[in-house]
Amino acid sequence: MTFVSKTKLNTFDFMKNIKATFLSVSIALSLLFLTVSCSEKTKKEVTPAVSQTIEVTYAKGFTVENKDTYTLITVTKPWPNADRTFTYALIPKGTPTPTGEFDAVVQTPVENLVVTSTTHIPSLEALAVENTLVGFPDTQYVSSPKTRARIDNGLVKELGINESINTETVIDLDPDVVIGFSINNQNKTYATLQKTGIPVVYNGDWAEETPLGKAEWIKFFAPFFNKEKEADSIFSHIVTEYNNAKQLAAASNTKPTVVSGAMYRDVWYLPGGRSWMAQFLADANTQYLWSDNNDTGSLSLNFETVYDKAINADFWLAPGQFTAYSQLLDESASYKNFKAFKNKNIYTFSNTKGATGGLLYYELAPSRPDLVLKDLIYFTHPNVLTNYTPQFFKPLE
Amino acid sequence: MSTTTTYTLEANALSIGYTHKNEITTIAENLSFQLQKGELIGLVGANGMGKSTLLKTLCGMIPSLGGVVTFNGKQLKNYTEQNLAKELSIVLTGAIPPSNLTVSEIIALGRQPYTNWIGSLSKQDKAKVIEVIDLLKLSSLKHKKSYELSDGQLQKVLLGRALAQDTSVIVLDEPTTHLDIYHKAYILKLLKEVAHTTQKTILFSTHEIDLAIQLCDQMMILTKDNFTVDQPCNLISKGSFNDLFPKDLIHFDQTTGSFRVHK
Amino acid sequence: MPKSFSYKTIFVGLALIIVLGMVVNISLGSVHIPFQEVLKILTGQEASKHTWAHIIIQYRLPKAITAILTGFGLSVSGLLMQTLFRNPLAGPFVLGISSGAGLGVALLVMGGSLLGVGIFNSSFSLAIAASLGSFIVLLAILLVARNIRDTMAILIIGLMFGSLTAAVVNILSYFASMEKLQQYVFWNLGSLGNLSWPQVALFVSIIFIGLLCTLFSVKGLNALLLGEQYAISMGVSVKKLRYIIMIATSLLAGSITAFVGPIAFIGLAVPHITRMLLKSSNHFILIPATMLIGGIVMLFCDTVAQLPGSQLTLPINAITSIIGAPMVIWLLLRKRKILL
Repeated sequence: MTFVSKTKLNTFDFMKNIKATFLSVSIALSLLFLTVSCSEKTKKEVTPAVSQTIEVTYAKGFTVENKDTYTLITVTKPWPNADRTFTYALIPKGTPTPTGEFDAVVQTPVENLVVTSTTHIPSLEALAVENTLVGFPDTQYVSSPKTRARIDNGLVKELGINESINTETVIDLDPDVVIGFSINNQNKTYATLQKTGIPVVYNGDWAEETPLGKAEWIKFFAPFFNKEKEADSIFSHIVTEYNNAKQLAAASNTKPTVVSGAMYRDVWYLPGGRSWMAQFLADANTQYLWSDNNDTGSLSLNFETVYDKAINADFWLAPGQFTAYSQLLDESASYKNFKAFKNKNIYTFSNTKGATGGLLYYELAPSRPDLVLKDLIYFTHPNVLTNYTPQFFKPLE
Repeated sequence: MSTTTTYTLEANALSIGYTHKNEITTIAENLSFQLQKGELIGLVGANGMGKSTLLKTLCGMIPSLGGVVTFNGKQLKNYTEQNLAKELSIVLTGAIPPSNLTVSEIIALGRQPYTNWIGSLSKQDKAKVIEVIDLLKLSSLKHKKSYELSDGQLQKVLLGRALAQDTSVIVLDEPTTHLDIYHKAYILKLLKEVAHTTQKTILFSTHEIDLAIQLCDQMMILTKDNFTVDQPCNLISKGSFNDLFPKDLIHFDQTTGSFRVHK
Repeated sequence: MPKSFSYKTIFVGLALIIVLGMVVNISLGSVHIPFQEVLKILTGQEASKHTWAHIIIQYRLPKAITAILTGFGLSVSGLLMQTLFRNPLAGPFVLGISSGAGLGVALLVMGGSLLGVGIFNSSFSLAIAASLGSFIVLLAILLVARNIRDTMAILIIGLMFGSLTAAVVNILSYFASMEKLQQYVFWNLGSLGNLSWPQVALFVSIIFIGLLCTLFSVKGLNALLLGEQYAISMGVSVKKLRYIIMIATSLLAGSITAFVGPIAFIGLAVPHITRMLLKSSNHFILIPATMLIGGIVMLFCDTVAQLPGSQLTLPINAITSIIGAPMVIWLLLRKRKILL
């Protein structure tokens, strides 16, 4: 943009730029599941006499309390650096609304709902309530098999693009609740829905910083369907599996070095040292070369820096959208000098797609950290998990 | 028409006007004249009579609606742009776009029809530029930028550029607009001197009828139904100037050779 | 011309600065490489660390050359546009020519998936698509602007074409798949790095052809400074000249937009900076001077964008504007007059 066009003449381009920035942000989000650093919100002090708290161990973004007549969900971190918490009252159908200020009141069990992120869908399927889903934005890339079948049978309404949901269709569907997510407090679509009386509940799973934390958001979904027990047992199983895999990896006597991400033009985007991905790499007993970094989000580093540091890395995991060695070479000939490239030790999740081409990893990985960890261990410590088939990661073609 | 003399610029039964979306607007018809070298010719006429259209048609900027224009015995339509540029140069009314060009650079641009593909000046080209600068007494200005010049100076420089182009005919479209009375007279007098010393045919359109009468060798009068070319004194005696404008406001005074407002 | 001696000095000076700028640019970067090592590598000797040699030869050197070529091409195409349209505000970006190139790329990158056709996204096809895109926009502007004398109207038409192409790109991106969109977004951020040597070679040859076309238009461009009618009266075939300038501009601006992405400011500002520094409008002087100054400015901007010593790189597009805009404002405040 020239200075003239930007400030005076071409506001259109300026808007385009904002959009591009926004797009790149959301792309980076989905790419690396980046979680921007944020101030830790302390959980609400709870008095055990009046309510019983459902145990939420790893997730930092929500709490669930059983009050006398209703369940209170408090979302403390709907997005990074949120300046307020959101409280939602879940009341059994037919009971009166409790006194108090709530951001939404939802009658349970929910019989039909709208969710907005593909990461929400595996939780619905795990709780066996996928038939309550009546609408979803951008159904094209949904991969979870049961929901896919329902979409193909026309049982799930297409609601348009995520950033601007087709409000009219949602109002027409009249769902019991809309599980939304937002990157800030400025979502106008949700405000419109709330005005028409449809409860909107923010899900902050994407802002969670730890693998098990993200997965624990299944406990956020459970009270809507009175499935707290099921959620608890599903999550405990995941925790057990995760920790077992972690221990097996820790016993291995090697600790290979790892580089991640890839270059776009000459900027290398890679996960920060405190990011979701970096924690997987640590738990898989590997030496992520940027583990001393304190960023929870993604790093954008100069090519030279990464080249100098990672040229001898043993493994290269999750190289962006690249699915083949030839693609890497097309993008930059410098890639071929990397040790991981020479030894064909590059593994990607971009080769594992659902029926309609959506990447399975983006949809399922947040709720199945045990599988992600096992995938990583399978490739970086070849002798540890012998009887295992990787779910997301595959060697580059 | 003479068979012995070659006229520098000649028009024969020329029709001028515009064609717009197959609709033809004729402004003047059946214009014929012959101009010789070394002559200064003034074209006068009321606004809207087609002075500019005539000049543009003569220069080939707009097509004629009929008739023939000839430069040095060769029809205008048979000239390439490149060759016509060696026979005809122009000075347009009004300023040129603001630029850093210096006076000598502008004059040197007149050498373009003679320079090579990249436009570098030969010894002869440079000599010609110096000759023109001397002729118009521009040497004190030659390093000045075009935007630093007064209107009168700029007009002189643009004339200089046309002279450097070294063509047999120079056409000027209202060269005296925007100038004060002194500079009007100065420029027209300069045109006369140049026409006589360089033996070029100089044709210009003007509203300064009284000045033109005093300075021109020949004058063209373009009115609604008439086109006359003759020496100014003959035109006065024929009373040709009387029909130039509507008579409700002004009249031509034959004794002074100028227009008078009705008292 | 009587001033040619001083111009010679200026050219020698500019040439020295560009060589110096290139050495400085290559010596500085995120990874600290001692200057002696840089010289060793550049002169073909063995460096003490083999990654250093790779960084210099495969990354910094092509990047420096790309910066210079970008500076050459953008500033010259800006100069061509300003003279052709006799408008000091003209430039490849303002007139929508860069957006046209962007549309070409968008159609290739995102349109392919939309039509269900897989088009090979080689750098060569990107360059062709971008050049075609800018050529079409330029042609459209020239066709519409043919009967318009008002230079402001031409600018507005250029802006409208820019908006039109941007709208088409927006629609394309609305329907494009995530991966394709991502590819386009990253392209749109612009970057000088990551060109392989074969790509640099291709880039060099396209810029060379573009500059060669420019050379053939020097004479006509000077005549155009007096306006179109004077130019025609001096025997210039303006139609032919227009086509040459169009081809040159689309090759220069198009290939740069393809290889580097949209780079703001340079095309508009460097010609003005050059005119003000050299106080000349003669294209025989202006074109080479604009080229050299454009190259120097790009090298400088890239050196700043690399944030020597840090691990980060700033987008080159932002740097060109941040450094350039105040420079032009300052020059204008001093001169108070915009010239062609």
